[in-house]
Amino acid sequence: MFNIDFTGEFAAFFVFSAIMICGAVLMISLEKVVHMVISMAAVFLGLAGMFVLLEAEFVAFVQVLIYAGAVSILMIFGIMMTKHQAAEREPAKPLHETLAAVGALSLFGVLFYAIRITTFPEAGNFNPGEDNTMAIGELLYTGYVIPFELLSVLLTVAFIGAIVLAKKEADE
Amino acid sequence: MQPWLNQALTWSNALVLFLWVVVFLFIVLGFVTYAIYFERKVIGWMQLRIGPNRVGPLGLLQTVADIFKLLIKEDTIPRKADRVLFIIAPALAYIPAFSVLAVIPYTQKLYFADLNVGLLYYVALSGISTLAIVLGGWASNNKYALLGGMRSAAQMISYEVPLVISVVGVILLSGSLNLRDIVAAQDGGWFWDWNFLPQIIGFVIFIIAAISELNRTPFDLPEAESELVAGYHVEYSGFRFAFFMLSEYVYVYAIAALTTVLFLGGWHAPAPFLDFVPGIVWFLLKFAFIVFFLFWIRATMPRIRVDQLMGLGWKVLLPISLLNVFLTALYLELFIKN
Repeated sequence: MFNIDFTGEFAAFFVFSAIMICGAVLMISLEKVVHMVISMAAVFLGLAGMFVLLEAEFVAFVQVLIYAGAVSILMIFGIMMTKHQAAEREPAKPLHETLAAVGALSLFGVLFYAIRITTFPEAGNFNPGEDNTMAIGELLYTGYVIPFELLSVLLTVAFIGAIVLAKKEADE
Repeated sequence: MQPWLNQALTWSNALVLFLWVVVFLFIVLGFVTYAIYFERKVIGWMQLRIGPNRVGPLGLLQTVADIFKLLIKEDTIPRKADRVLFIIAPALAYIPAFSVLAVIPYTQKLYFADLNVGLLYYVALSGISTLAIVLGGWASNNKYALLGGMRSAAQMISYEVPLVISVVGVILLSGSLNLRDIVAAQDGGWFWDWNFLPQIIGFVIFIIAAISELNRTPFDLPEAESELVAGYHVEYSGFRFAFFMLSEYVYVYAIAALTTVLFLGGWHAPAPFLDFVPGIVWFLLKFAFIVFFLFWIRATMPRIRVDQLMGLGWKVLLPISLLNVFLTALYLELFIKN
């Protein structure tokens, strides 16, 4: 049924998936917000590992830099100002929870069934390229230069807007 | 290393690689032990003191004794601390500090990973340590620790930006993020082919930002002994405290090696007629000089104020580093491309 060779890549895939799934589950089930952010950072790191397995090193380390580093620190900075105690538990709603469990299980069933019966076309020989950083750079500055510039303008506008808003509050 | 790295991964290969990592870990620990001894000696001499001289011949075992003291000390966890995070934080600080060393090439043949985004890998992973520092400060549930953690994080984030932008010039010149290619691109025979002269602005910014990233004087505000309680690690004792200190010194190693690779030509000799000396000797000499330079600065400079620190980072270093990128690009466009 599972015709899979046990290679180093497969083991790494398993480890990273375990990290991501554990992180995601903990993110939902933990009660303190800081703990949630840490489990989310674990998901980001696992995802970066997946990108490395797919030979997309550039995307992988940008993922670590931006999401696991910058975004997580930013969120923790915000959360640190809040109170330390865990949030109070909401009263349990048995019917609601049962229905949610049934829904989640059937979604899993449908997805699993669909994936098992699909025959995937034979993938061509994947060529990750010599230097995918260079390839991304060249694409960004040739084929996608206008979307890229638009994004830069958007970010600059957001940046200046944030400064203006903060300045206004500081002056008052 | 190349033959090992390119083989298929079998159990025996994995064992060999693992043993290499263990050997390397001990080399790094040895470096940290004697870097601390060296630092205390150098600063002692500069301040007309003798420095440690009691434990072992010439005080050589002083750091060993200090570490041993830390290891057998009672390990306290405050009752109201966030237990899990309090325990995780020191490890989370140390793991990235050790992992970034993987991409440093020592000579043409001796390197641990040939990653084509080596520099990005370094920058990305070292950011995770900041996360650990904030967490350590927060988990202690102590206002001084929290303040210290916030100060560290603010400082590290502010100086990470100019640090990264200042190396963009080097990346432009060598056309690669791979640290081995960056060293190879500095192969002109003479020392003026190394990046520190063509990239002098970037080099100066890199050094300043690196000292700040390392939380060393004149930027050691997070743990300014004379004015603060201690910083983010107030509540830590014993081996958890040792882990924070260890990762700080491992970053000294990492930054010194990175400076050597990026700006000082890695394993290249300063002049063609000195080529007979093996590359690793040149690497170690430059590396040792940078480490000494960091200690020298520490003994020389006063500490700057926190508002000056932020002002310097955002108002001076950042614009100059952007200007450096612009100038480098202009130079390449006008003189090299045609």
